Amino acid sequence: MSGYQLGSAQIADTFAEAFPMRYARILITAASDAWALEAAHSMTGFATSVIGCKCEAAIERSLTCAETPDGRPGIAVLLFAMDREGVGKRVLERVGQSVMTCPTTACFDGLEGADKTVPLGASLRYFGDGFQASKVIAGRRFWRIPVMEGEFLVCESVGVGSGVGGGNLVIAAADEDAALAAARAAAEAMRGEGIALPFPGGIVRSGSKVGSLTSKSMAASTNHQMAPTLRAQVDDTLVPGGVGAMFEIVIDGASESAVREAMRRGLHAAAGAGATHVTAANFGGKLGQFHFPLSELRDPP
Amino acid sequence: MTLTLTLRADPPARVLAAPLIPERLRGLNASAVAALDLRCGGETVAVDDLFEVSGAGTEEEELVLAGDLRRFDGIGARMSSGEIVVRGDVGAWAGAEVSGGVLRVFGDAGARLGAAYPGARAGMTGGEIVVTGDAGEEAGAGMRRGLVAVGGRTGNGAGLRMLAGTVIALGGIGAEAGLGNKRGSLVSGRPVEPLPAYAFATRFRPPALGLQLRRVRELGLTVDDALLRGTWARWSGDQTELTRGEILIFDDEEERRE
Repeated sequence: MSGYQLGSAQIADTFAEAFPMRYARILITAASDAWALEAAHSMTGFATSVIGCKCEAAIERSLTCAETPDGRPGIAVLLFAMDREGVGKRVLERVGQSVMTCPTTACFDGLEGADKTVPLGASLRYFGDGFQASKVIAGRRFWRIPVMEGEFLVCESVGVGSGVGGGNLVIAAADEDAALAAARAAAEAMRGEGIALPFPGGIVRSGSKVGSLTSKSMAASTNHQMAPTLRAQVDDTLVPGGVGAMFEIVIDGASESAVREAMRRGLHAAAGAGATHVTAANFGGKLGQFHFPLSELRDPP
Repeated sequence: MTLTLTLRADPPARVLAAPLIPERLRGLNASAVAALDLRCGGETVAVDDLFEVSGAGTEEEELVLAGDLRRFDGIGARMSSGEIVVRGDVGAWAGAEVSGGVLRVFGDAGARLGAAYPGARAGMTGGEIVVTGDAGEEAGAGMRRGLVAVGGRTGNGAGLRMLAGTVIALGGIGAEAGLGNKRGSLVSGRPVEPLPAYAFATRFRPPALGLQLRRVRELGLTVDDALLRGTWARWSGDQTELTRGEILIFDDEEERRE
Protein backbone atom coordinates (compact mmCIF):
# COMPACT_ATOMS: atom_id res chain seq x y z
CA MET A 1 0.00 0.00 0.00
CA SER A 2 1.59 3.31 -1.02
CA GLY A 3 0.50 6.61 0.43
CA TYR A 4 1.96 8.29 3.48
CA GLN A 5 2.55 7.69 7.16
CA LEU A 6 0.58 9.65 9.74
CA GLY A 7 1.43 8.79 13.30
CA SER A 8 0.94 5.07 13.69
CA ALA A 9 -1.16 4.81 10.55
CA GLN A 10 -0.33 4.13 6.95
CA ILE A 11 -2.65 6.29 4.85
CA ALA A 12 -3.57 4.71 1.54
CA ASP A 13 -3.13 6.48 -1.76
CA THR A 14 -6.80 6.44 -2.61
CA PHE A 15 -9.92 8.55 -2.38
CA ALA A 16 -13.45 8.48 -1.07
CA GLU A 17 -16.16 8.85 -3.65
CA ALA A 18 -19.37 10.68 -2.78
CA PHE A 19 -22.62 11.71 -4.39
CA PRO A 20 -24.92 14.70 -4.45
CA MET A 21 -27.83 14.37 -2.06
CA ARG A 22 -30.55 16.65 -0.75
CA TYR A 23 -31.01 17.26 2.93
CA ALA A 24 -33.11 18.95 5.58
CA ARG A 25 -32.13 20.17 9.01
CA ILE A 26 -34.86 19.61 11.58
CA LEU A 27 -34.73 21.34 14.94
CA ILE A 28 -36.48 19.41 17.67
CA THR A 29 -37.14 21.12 20.97
CA ALA A 30 -38.69 19.75 24.13
CA ALA A 31 -39.22 20.49 27.78
CA SER A 32 -35.89 18.83 28.61
CA ASP A 33 -32.72 17.66 26.90
CA ALA A 34 -33.79 14.10 27.54
CA TRP A 35 -37.10 14.37 25.68
CA ALA A 36 -35.50 16.20 22.77
CA LEU A 37 -32.96 13.40 22.57
CA GLU A 38 -35.66 10.73 22.71
CA ALA A 39 -37.41 12.30 19.74
CA ALA A 40 -34.16 12.71 17.83
CA HIS A 41 -33.13 9.11 18.44
CA SER A 42 -36.51 7.92 17.28
CA MET A 43 -36.47 10.12 14.20
CA THR A 44 -33.00 9.03 13.17
CA GLY A 45 -33.58 5.35 13.85
CA PHE A 46 -33.41 2.95 10.91
CA ALA A 47 -31.91 5.65 8.72
CA THR A 48 -28.44 4.29 8.09
CA SER A 49 -28.41 3.79 4.35
CA VAL A 50 -30.52 5.32 1.63
CA ILE A 51 -30.46 1.95 -0.12
CA GLY A 52 -32.21 0.09 2.64
CA CYS A 53 -33.89 2.86 4.63
CA LYS A 54 -34.83 5.38 1.93
CA CYS A 55 -32.91 8.08 3.78
CA GLU A 56 -29.88 8.66 5.95
CA ALA A 57 -30.26 10.65 9.12
CA ALA A 58 -28.33 11.47 12.25
CA ILE A 59 -28.13 13.90 15.10
CA GLU A 60 -26.03 16.86 14.03
CA ARG A 61 -25.61 18.41 17.47
CA SER A 62 -27.31 19.48 20.67
CA LEU A 63 -28.71 22.99 20.84
CA THR A 64 -28.70 25.24 23.87
CA CYS A 65 -31.82 27.07 24.92
CA ALA A 66 -30.34 30.22 23.42
CA GLU A 67 -30.05 28.54 20.01
CA THR A 68 -33.62 27.33 19.63
CA PRO A 69 -36.63 29.29 18.41
CA ASP A 70 -38.68 28.62 21.53
CA GLY A 71 -35.91 28.89 24.10
CA ARG A 72 -36.04 25.24 25.11
CA PRO A 73 -33.34 22.58 24.84
CA GLY A 74 -33.06 21.12 21.38
CA ILE A 75 -31.41 18.78 18.95
CA ALA A 76 -30.54 19.42 15.31
CA VAL A 77 -31.12 16.45 13.03
CA LEU A 78 -29.87 16.14 9.47
CA LEU A 79 -31.82 13.95 7.05
CA PHE A 80 -30.49 13.09 3.60
CA ALA A 81 -32.20 11.54 0.58
CA MET A 82 -31.44 11.33 -3.10
CA ASP A 83 -33.83 14.11 -4.16
CA ARG A 84 -36.12 16.77 -2.74
CA GLU A 85 -39.17 14.60 -3.06
CA GLY A 86 -37.45 11.90 -1.05
CA VAL A 87 -36.48 14.37 1.65
CA GLY A 88 -40.06 15.60 1.82
CA LYS A 89 -41.56 12.13 2.20
CA ARG A 90 -39.11 10.94 4.78
CA VAL A 91 -39.23 14.13 6.87
CA LEU A 92 -43.01 14.01 6.91
CA GLU A 93 -43.08 10.35 7.96
CA ARG A 94 -40.45 10.67 10.62
CA VAL A 95 -41.61 13.93 12.18
CA GLY A 96 -45.15 12.58 12.17
CA GLN A 97 -44.27 9.28 13.77
CA SER A 98 -41.29 10.13 15.93
CA VAL A 99 -41.47 13.81 16.88
CA MET A 100 -45.16 14.59 17.06
CA THR A 101 -45.65 11.47 19.15
CA CYS A 102 -42.93 12.36 21.64
CA PRO A 103 -44.00 14.24 24.79
CA THR A 104 -43.44 18.02 24.92
CA THR A 105 -41.72 18.39 21.54
CA ALA A 106 -41.99 21.11 18.91
CA CYS A 107 -40.44 21.05 15.47
CA PHE A 108 -38.74 23.83 13.52
CA ASP A 109 -36.91 24.36 10.25
CA GLY A 110 -33.15 24.52 10.56
CA LEU A 111 -32.60 25.73 6.99
CA GLU A 112 -34.60 28.93 6.96
CA GLY A 113 -34.11 30.93 3.81
CA ALA A 114 -33.40 27.92 1.62
CA ASP A 115 -34.52 28.33 -1.99
CA LYS A 116 -36.34 25.01 -2.00
CA THR A 117 -38.73 23.75 0.61
CA VAL A 118 -40.93 20.75 1.26
CA PRO A 119 -44.19 20.83 3.20
CA LEU A 120 -44.18 19.62 6.77
CA GLY A 121 -46.81 21.22 8.99
CA ALA A 122 -48.77 21.99 5.84
CA SER A 123 -49.34 18.24 5.53
CA LEU A 124 -49.14 17.10 9.16
CA ARG A 125 -51.86 19.55 10.10
CA TYR A 126 -54.50 17.19 8.78
CA PHE A 127 -53.84 15.00 11.77
CA GLY A 128 -55.61 17.77 13.63
CA ASP A 129 -58.84 16.66 11.99
CA GLY A 130 -60.04 20.17 11.38
CA PHE A 131 -59.19 21.41 14.87
CA GLN A 132 -55.72 22.55 13.85
CA ALA A 133 -54.91 26.25 13.75
CA SER A 134 -52.09 28.23 12.26
CA LYS A 135 -50.16 31.26 13.39
CA VAL A 136 -47.85 33.42 11.33
CA ILE A 137 -45.03 34.50 13.62
CA ALA A 138 -42.31 36.83 12.34
CA GLY A 139 -43.32 36.02 8.78
CA ARG A 140 -43.25 32.24 9.21
CA ARG A 141 -46.31 30.05 9.44
CA PHE A 142 -46.64 27.43 12.13
CA TRP A 143 -49.32 24.86 12.78
CA ARG A 144 -50.81 24.10 16.14
CA ILE A 145 -52.01 20.53 16.18
CA PRO A 146 -54.12 19.63 19.21
CA VAL A 147 -52.89 16.45 20.92
CA MET A 148 -53.66 14.66 24.16
CA GLU A 149 -50.92 16.52 25.98
CA GLY A 150 -51.79 19.99 24.68
CA GLU A 151 -50.52 21.17 21.32
CA PHE A 152 -47.81 20.07 18.93
CA LEU A 153 -46.24 23.06 17.21
CA VAL A 154 -44.67 22.44 13.82
CA CYS A 155 -43.38 24.70 11.08
CA GLU A 156 -45.29 24.93 7.81
CA SER A 157 -42.38 23.72 5.68
CA VAL A 158 -38.69 22.97 5.89
CA GLY A 159 -35.86 24.05 3.65
CA VAL A 160 -34.01 21.59 1.47
CA GLY A 161 -30.35 22.05 0.74
CA SER A 162 -27.87 20.46 -1.62
CA GLY A 163 -25.48 18.24 0.24
CA VAL A 164 -23.00 15.43 -0.24
CA GLY A 165 -23.55 11.84 0.76
CA GLY A 166 -21.18 8.91 0.98
CA GLY A 167 -17.92 10.42 2.08
CA ASN A 168 -16.08 7.75 4.03
CA LEU A 169 -13.03 6.54 5.84
CA VAL A 170 -12.06 2.94 6.45
CA ILE A 171 -10.07 2.50 9.65
CA ALA A 172 -8.06 -0.61 10.36
CA ALA A 173 -5.95 -2.02 13.17
CA ALA A 174 -4.49 -5.29 14.38
CA ASP A 175 -7.61 -6.43 16.18
CA GLU A 176 -11.23 -5.51 16.73
CA ASP A 177 -10.66 -3.61 19.97
CA ALA A 178 -7.91 -1.44 18.56
CA ALA A 179 -9.73 -0.76 15.30
CA LEU A 180 -12.94 0.11 17.09
CA ALA A 181 -11.17 2.47 19.50
CA ALA A 182 -9.60 4.28 16.56
CA ALA A 183 -12.91 4.42 14.69
CA ARG A 184 -14.71 5.76 17.75
CA ALA A 185 -12.11 8.48 18.14
CA ALA A 186 -12.51 9.36 14.48
CA ALA A 187 -16.31 9.47 14.65
CA GLU A 188 -16.18 11.68 17.71
CA ALA A 189 -13.85 14.08 15.95
CA MET A 190 -15.89 14.15 12.76
CA ARG A 191 -19.23 15.17 14.27
CA GLY A 192 -20.04 18.84 13.99
CA GLU A 193 -21.88 21.51 12.08
CA GLY A 194 -23.24 20.19 8.81
CA ILE A 195 -22.20 16.58 9.40
CA ALA A 196 -24.29 13.44 9.79
CA LEU A 197 -22.81 10.03 10.57
CA PRO A 198 -25.85 7.85 9.92
CA PHE A 199 -24.62 4.45 11.13
CA PRO A 200 -24.80 3.22 14.73
CA GLY A 201 -22.36 5.28 16.75
CA GLY A 202 -21.27 6.70 13.42
CA ILE A 203 -19.52 3.43 12.56
CA VAL A 204 -20.39 0.65 10.13
CA ARG A 205 -18.79 -2.79 10.29
CA SER A 206 -20.62 -4.19 7.27
CA GLY A 207 -19.32 -2.02 4.49
CA SER A 208 -20.79 -3.06 1.18
CA LYS A 209 -19.93 -3.25 -2.47
CA VAL A 210 -22.30 -2.52 -5.33
CA GLY A 211 -24.08 -5.64 -6.52
CA SER A 212 -23.18 -9.23 -5.72
CA LEU A 213 -20.93 -11.97 -6.96
CA THR A 214 -23.67 -14.54 -6.69
CA SER A 215 -27.02 -12.84 -7.28
CA LYS A 216 -28.23 -10.39 -9.89
CA SER A 217 -31.06 -9.22 -7.65
CA MET A 218 -28.83 -7.98 -4.83
CA ALA A 219 -28.24 -4.22 -4.96
CA ALA A 220 -25.40 -4.50 -2.48
CA SER A 221 -23.47 -7.20 -0.71
CA THR A 222 -20.61 -7.53 1.75
CA ASN A 223 -17.37 -5.84 0.88
CA HIS A 224 -15.48 -9.10 0.67
CA GLN A 225 -12.28 -7.31 -0.26
CA MET A 226 -12.18 -5.69 3.19
CA ALA A 227 -13.28 -8.69 5.23
CA PRO A 228 -10.25 -9.98 7.18
CA THR A 229 -11.72 -13.44 7.52
CA LEU A 230 -11.71 -13.78 3.73
CA ARG A 231 -8.13 -12.66 3.28
CA ALA A 232 -6.94 -16.14 2.48
CA GLN A 233 -10.05 -17.06 0.57
CA VAL A 234 -10.29 -14.40 -2.15
CA ASP A 235 -7.82 -13.25 -4.73
CA ASP A 236 -8.64 -9.57 -4.58
CA THR A 237 -8.38 -8.87 -0.85
CA LEU A 238 -7.60 -5.32 0.19
CA VAL A 239 -6.94 -6.14 3.83
CA PRO A 240 -3.38 -5.04 4.64
CA GLY A 241 -1.03 -7.42 6.31
CA GLY A 242 -1.34 -7.44 10.09
CA VAL A 243 -4.86 -6.06 10.05
CA GLY A 244 -7.49 -7.99 12.00
CA ALA A 245 -10.50 -5.65 11.81
CA MET A 246 -11.72 -2.74 9.69
CA PHE A 247 -14.50 -0.24 10.30
CA GLU A 248 -16.01 2.29 7.94
CA ILE A 249 -17.34 5.71 8.81
CA VAL A 250 -19.82 7.08 6.29
CA ILE A 251 -20.17 10.84 6.22
CA ASP A 252 -23.04 12.86 4.84
CA GLY A 253 -22.50 16.58 4.83
CA ALA A 254 -24.14 19.86 4.07
CA SER A 255 -21.37 20.68 1.62
CA GLU A 256 -18.30 19.24 -0.04
CA SER A 257 -16.05 21.24 2.26
CA ALA A 258 -17.93 20.06 5.36
CA VAL A 259 -17.32 16.45 4.33
CA ARG A 260 -13.69 17.08 3.48
CA GLU A 261 -12.96 18.76 6.80
CA ALA A 262 -14.80 16.06 8.73
CA MET A 263 -12.70 13.46 6.94
CA ARG A 264 -9.58 15.41 7.82
CA ARG A 265 -10.56 15.47 11.51
CA GLY A 266 -11.41 11.81 11.45
CA LEU A 267 -8.24 10.78 9.67
CA HIS A 268 -6.00 12.53 12.15
CA ALA A 269 -8.01 11.34 15.14
CA ALA A 270 -7.82 7.73 13.95
CA ALA A 271 -4.10 8.01 13.33
CA GLY A 272 -3.65 9.32 16.83
CA ALA A 273 -5.80 6.62 18.40
CA GLY A 274 -4.07 3.46 17.28
CA ALA A 275 -5.17 2.89 13.70
CA THR A 276 -2.54 1.09 11.67
CA HIS A 277 -4.13 1.79 8.31
CA VAL A 278 -6.68 4.25 6.96
CA THR A 279 -8.15 3.92 3.51
CA ALA A 280 -11.40 4.85 1.77
CA ALA A 281 -14.02 3.25 -0.41
CA ASN A 282 -14.76 4.27 -3.95
CA PHE A 283 -16.19 2.94 -7.18
CA GLY A 284 -13.27 3.72 -9.38
CA GLY A 285 -14.30 7.31 -9.68
CA LYS A 286 -16.96 6.59 -12.25
CA LEU A 287 -20.09 6.95 -10.13
CA GLY A 288 -19.62 9.77 -7.68
CA GLN A 289 -19.33 13.42 -8.50
CA PHE A 290 -17.22 14.21 -5.44
CA HIS A 291 -13.76 12.75 -4.84
CA PHE A 292 -11.87 13.16 -1.58
CA PRO A 293 -8.27 11.99 -1.97
CA LEU A 294 -6.71 11.07 1.35
CA SER A 295 -3.49 12.66 0.12
CA GLU A 296 -5.21 16.07 0.46
CA LEU A 297 -6.01 15.47 4.11
CA ARG A 298 -2.44 15.25 5.33
CA ASP A 299 -2.40 18.66 6.99
CA PRO A 300 -3.94 18.58 10.45
CA PRO A 301 -7.31 20.26 11.07
CA MET B 1 -30.46 58.03 6.84
CA THR B 2 -33.82 57.14 8.39
CA LEU B 3 -36.69 59.48 7.65
CA THR B 4 -37.64 61.20 10.90
CA LEU B 5 -40.61 63.47 11.51
CA THR B 6 -40.49 65.35 14.79
CA LEU B 7 -43.62 67.15 15.93
CA ARG B 8 -43.18 70.91 16.16
CA ALA B 9 -46.31 71.69 18.20
CA ASP B 10 -49.78 70.36 18.91
CA PRO B 11 -51.96 70.64 15.79
CA PRO B 12 -55.06 72.84 15.99
CA ALA B 13 -57.37 69.89 15.17
CA ARG B 14 -57.16 66.11 14.73
CA VAL B 15 -54.88 65.07 11.90
CA LEU B 16 -55.34 62.13 9.57
CA ALA B 17 -51.82 60.72 9.42
CA ALA B 18 -52.58 57.69 7.23
CA PRO B 19 -50.57 59.01 4.25
CA LEU B 20 -47.37 58.78 6.28
CA ILE B 21 -46.47 55.18 5.59
CA PRO B 22 -43.04 53.97 4.47
CA GLU B 23 -44.07 52.61 1.10
CA ARG B 24 -45.45 55.99 0.06
CA LEU B 25 -42.40 57.87 1.28
CA ARG B 26 -39.77 55.60 -0.24
CA GLY B 27 -37.32 57.57 -2.34
CA LEU B 28 -38.61 60.99 -1.23
CA ASN B 29 -36.15 63.46 0.18
CA ALA B 30 -36.87 65.61 3.22
CA SER B 31 -38.22 68.55 1.25
CA ALA B 32 -40.56 66.36 -0.78
CA VAL B 33 -41.90 64.79 2.39
CA ALA B 34 -42.26 68.19 4.00
CA ALA B 35 -44.41 69.34 1.09
CA LEU B 36 -46.93 66.49 1.37
CA ASP B 37 -50.47 67.35 2.37
CA LEU B 38 -52.29 66.08 5.44
CA ARG B 39 -55.88 66.64 6.55
CA CYS B 40 -56.06 68.62 9.78
CA GLY B 41 -59.66 69.12 10.86
CA GLY B 42 -61.37 70.56 7.80
CA GLU B 43 -58.14 72.00 6.45
CA THR B 44 -55.24 70.76 4.38
CA VAL B 45 -51.83 71.41 5.87
CA ALA B 46 -48.32 70.55 4.78
CA VAL B 47 -46.29 68.04 6.70
CA ASP B 48 -43.80 70.85 7.20
CA ASP B 49 -46.42 72.83 9.14
CA LEU B 50 -46.59 70.09 11.74
CA PHE B 51 -43.25 68.29 11.67
CA GLU B 52 -39.59 68.98 11.37
CA VAL B 53 -38.45 66.56 8.68
CA SER B 54 -34.99 65.02 8.49
CA GLY B 55 -33.50 62.18 6.52
CA ALA B 56 -35.14 60.66 3.49
CA GLY B 57 -37.38 57.76 2.58
CA THR B 58 -35.08 54.79 2.29
CA GLU B 59 -35.30 51.41 0.59
CA GLU B 60 -35.40 49.90 4.07
CA GLU B 61 -38.62 51.83 4.55
CA GLU B 62 -38.09 52.93 8.11
CA LEU B 63 -40.00 55.95 9.32
CA VAL B 64 -39.64 57.50 12.77
CA LEU B 65 -42.34 59.76 14.19
CA ALA B 66 -41.51 61.60 17.39
CA GLY B 67 -43.68 63.63 19.71
CA ASP B 68 -47.04 63.54 21.42
CA LEU B 69 -49.18 62.34 18.54
CA ARG B 70 -52.42 61.67 20.40
CA ARG B 71 -54.23 63.98 17.97
CA PHE B 72 -52.91 62.07 14.98
CA ASP B 73 -55.23 59.33 13.79
CA GLY B 74 -54.52 56.48 11.41
CA ILE B 75 -50.76 56.37 11.93
CA GLY B 76 -49.52 53.43 9.90
CA ALA B 77 -52.99 52.65 8.61
CA ARG B 78 -53.01 50.31 5.62
CA MET B 79 -49.22 49.99 5.54
CA SER B 80 -48.06 46.86 3.80
CA SER B 81 -44.30 46.92 4.32
CA GLY B 82 -41.48 48.62 6.13
CA GLU B 83 -41.38 49.81 9.69
CA ILE B 84 -42.77 52.79 11.57
CA VAL B 85 -41.37 53.64 14.97
CA VAL B 86 -43.33 56.15 17.02
CA ARG B 87 -41.68 57.72 20.02
CA GLY B 88 -44.73 59.02 21.80
CA ASP B 89 -48.46 58.38 22.10
CA VAL B 90 -50.68 57.93 19.04
CA GLY B 91 -54.36 58.63 18.39
CA ALA B 92 -57.14 56.38 17.16
CA TRP B 93 -57.02 53.91 14.26
CA ALA B 94 -53.26 53.44 14.44
CA GLY B 95 -52.34 50.50 12.22
CA ALA B 96 -55.88 50.15 10.92
CA GLU B 97 -56.14 47.51 8.22
CA VAL B 98 -52.40 46.91 8.12
CA SER B 99 -51.40 44.14 5.72
CA GLY B 100 -47.67 43.93 6.40
CA GLY B 101 -44.68 45.55 8.00
CA VAL B 102 -44.15 46.57 11.61
CA LEU B 103 -45.61 49.46 13.60
CA ARG B 104 -43.92 50.03 16.93
CA VAL B 105 -45.33 52.62 19.33
CA PHE B 106 -43.28 53.53 22.35
CA GLY B 107 -46.20 55.04 24.20
CA ASP B 108 -49.97 54.61 24.39
CA ALA B 109 -52.41 54.08 21.51
CA GLY B 110 -55.97 55.31 21.15
CA ALA B 111 -59.06 53.37 20.19
CA ARG B 112 -59.36 50.86 17.34
CA LEU B 113 -55.67 49.98 17.22
CA GLY B 114 -55.12 47.69 14.20
CA ALA B 115 -58.84 47.58 13.60
CA ALA B 116 -61.10 47.43 10.57
CA TYR B 117 -62.67 50.60 9.30
CA PRO B 118 -66.46 50.65 9.59
CA GLY B 119 -68.03 48.51 6.89
CA ALA B 120 -64.84 46.66 6.02
CA ARG B 121 -65.06 42.86 5.94
CA ALA B 122 -61.67 42.47 7.56
CA GLY B 123 -59.19 44.63 9.40
CA MET B 124 -55.55 43.68 9.70
CA THR B 125 -54.51 41.04 7.20
CA GLY B 126 -50.86 40.79 8.22
CA GLY B 127 -47.99 42.57 9.86
CA GLU B 128 -47.19 43.34 13.45
CA ILE B 129 -48.23 46.16 15.76
CA VAL B 130 -46.53 46.61 19.10
CA VAL B 131 -47.47 49.24 21.70
CA THR B 132 -45.44 49.53 24.86
CA GLY B 133 -48.15 51.33 26.81
CA ASP B 134 -51.92 50.92 26.88
CA ALA B 135 -54.35 50.76 23.97
CA GLY B 136 -57.91 52.03 23.73
CA GLU B 137 -61.15 50.24 22.97
CA GLU B 138 -61.64 47.59 20.31
CA ALA B 139 -58.01 46.87 19.56
CA GLY B 140 -57.72 44.35 16.75
CA ALA B 141 -61.40 44.59 15.86
CA GLY B 142 -62.15 42.63 12.70
CA MET B 143 -58.59 41.42 12.22
CA ARG B 144 -58.01 38.48 9.89
CA ARG B 145 -54.27 37.88 10.33
CA GLY B 146 -51.34 39.45 12.08
CA LEU B 147 -50.34 40.42 15.57
CA VAL B 148 -51.33 43.27 17.88
CA ALA B 149 -49.32 43.26 21.10
CA VAL B 150 -49.74 45.75 23.91
CA GLY B 151 -47.42 45.97 26.87
CA GLY B 152 -50.10 47.48 29.09
CA ARG B 153 -53.86 47.02 29.01
CA THR B 154 -56.33 47.15 26.17
CA GLY B 155 -59.65 48.89 26.55
CA ASN B 156 -62.99 47.15 26.31
CA GLY B 157 -64.01 45.10 23.31
CA ALA B 158 -60.60 43.96 22.07
CA GLY B 159 -60.85 41.51 19.19
CA LEU B 160 -64.41 42.49 18.37
CA ARG B 161 -65.60 40.29 15.47
CA MET B 162 -62.06 39.18 14.77
CA LEU B 163 -61.70 36.48 12.14
CA ALA B 164 -58.24 35.25 13.12
CA GLY B 165 -54.88 36.66 14.19
CA THR B 166 -53.67 37.46 17.68
CA VAL B 167 -54.20 40.29 20.17
CA ILE B 168 -51.89 40.21 23.18
CA ALA B 169 -52.28 42.47 26.22
CA LEU B 170 -49.54 41.75 28.71
CA GLY B 171 -51.10 44.09 31.25
CA GLY B 172 -54.51 42.54 30.80
CA ILE B 173 -57.19 42.57 28.21
CA GLY B 174 -60.24 44.75 28.80
CA ALA B 175 -63.79 43.62 29.42
CA GLU B 176 -65.99 42.09 26.73
CA ALA B 177 -63.04 40.88 24.71
CA GLY B 178 -63.59 38.61 21.74
CA LEU B 179 -67.25 39.27 21.07
CA GLY B 180 -68.08 37.60 17.75
CA ASN B 181 -64.56 36.13 17.51
CA LYS B 182 -64.32 33.31 14.96
CA ARG B 183 -60.75 31.91 15.04
CA GLY B 184 -58.71 34.61 16.68
CA SER B 185 -56.51 34.43 19.75
CA LEU B 186 -56.81 36.93 22.58
CA VAL B 187 -54.09 36.81 25.19
CA SER B 188 -54.27 38.39 28.62
CA GLY B 189 -51.26 38.54 30.88
CA ARG B 190 -53.55 39.39 33.80
CA PRO B 191 -56.76 37.81 35.07
CA VAL B 192 -59.90 38.71 33.19
CA GLU B 193 -63.41 37.29 33.19
CA PRO B 194 -64.27 36.10 29.70
CA LEU B 195 -67.66 36.72 28.15
CA PRO B 196 -70.28 34.05 28.87
CA ALA B 197 -69.91 32.87 25.29
CA TYR B 198 -66.48 31.45 26.17
CA ALA B 199 -66.06 28.10 27.93
CA PHE B 200 -63.05 27.01 29.97
CA ALA B 201 -61.02 24.25 28.24
CA THR B 202 -57.79 23.61 30.12
CA ARG B 203 -54.58 24.98 31.53
CA PHE B 204 -51.44 24.37 29.50
CA ARG B 205 -48.27 25.88 28.09
CA PRO B 206 -49.17 27.07 24.58
CA PRO B 207 -46.07 26.57 22.43
CA ALA B 208 -47.14 29.02 19.73
CA LEU B 209 -47.73 31.73 22.31
CA GLY B 210 -44.20 31.21 23.56
CA LEU B 211 -42.89 32.04 20.12
CA GLN B 212 -45.15 35.06 19.85
CA LEU B 213 -44.04 36.40 23.23
CA ARG B 214 -40.41 36.01 22.21
CA ARG B 215 -41.18 37.88 19.03
CA VAL B 216 -42.82 40.83 20.79
CA ARG B 217 -39.89 40.94 23.15
CA GLU B 218 -37.66 41.32 20.10
CA LEU B 219 -39.90 44.15 18.95
CA GLY B 220 -39.45 46.07 22.18
CA LEU B 221 -42.00 44.88 24.73
CA THR B 222 -40.92 43.86 28.19
CA VAL B 223 -42.06 40.27 28.62
CA ASP B 224 -41.77 38.70 32.07
CA ASP B 225 -40.04 35.33 31.91
CA ALA B 226 -42.88 33.96 34.00
CA LEU B 227 -45.18 34.36 31.00
CA LEU B 228 -42.84 32.15 28.98
CA ARG B 229 -42.51 29.51 31.66
CA GLY B 230 -45.95 29.41 33.18
CA THR B 231 -49.31 27.92 32.32
CA TRP B 232 -52.24 29.63 30.66
CA ALA B 233 -55.95 28.99 30.92
CA ARG B 234 -57.62 28.42 27.58
CA TRP B 235 -61.18 29.58 27.07
CA SER B 236 -62.87 28.66 23.79
CA GLY B 237 -65.38 30.84 21.99
CA ASP B 238 -67.23 32.76 20.81
CA GLN B 239 -69.80 29.98 21.06
CA THR B 240 -72.27 32.06 19.12
CA GLU B 241 -69.80 31.86 16.22
CA LEU B 242 -67.50 28.91 15.38
CA THR B 243 -66.10 28.25 18.89
CA ARG B 244 -62.72 28.15 17.16
CA GLY B 245 -61.41 31.27 18.81
CA GLU B 246 -59.66 31.40 22.16
CA ILE B 247 -58.82 33.61 25.09
CA LEU B 248 -55.59 32.65 26.82
CA ILE B 249 -55.24 33.99 30.34
CA PHE B 250 -52.04 33.69 32.31
CA ASP B 251 -52.91 31.92 35.52
CA ASP B 252 -49.60 30.86 36.97
CA GLU B 253 -49.17 33.48 39.65
CA GLU B 254 -46.87 31.12 41.51
CA GLU B 255 -44.49 31.27 38.52
CA ARG B 256 -44.78 35.04 38.40
CA ARG B 257 -43.76 35.35 42.05
CA GLU B 258 -40.59 33.35 41.54
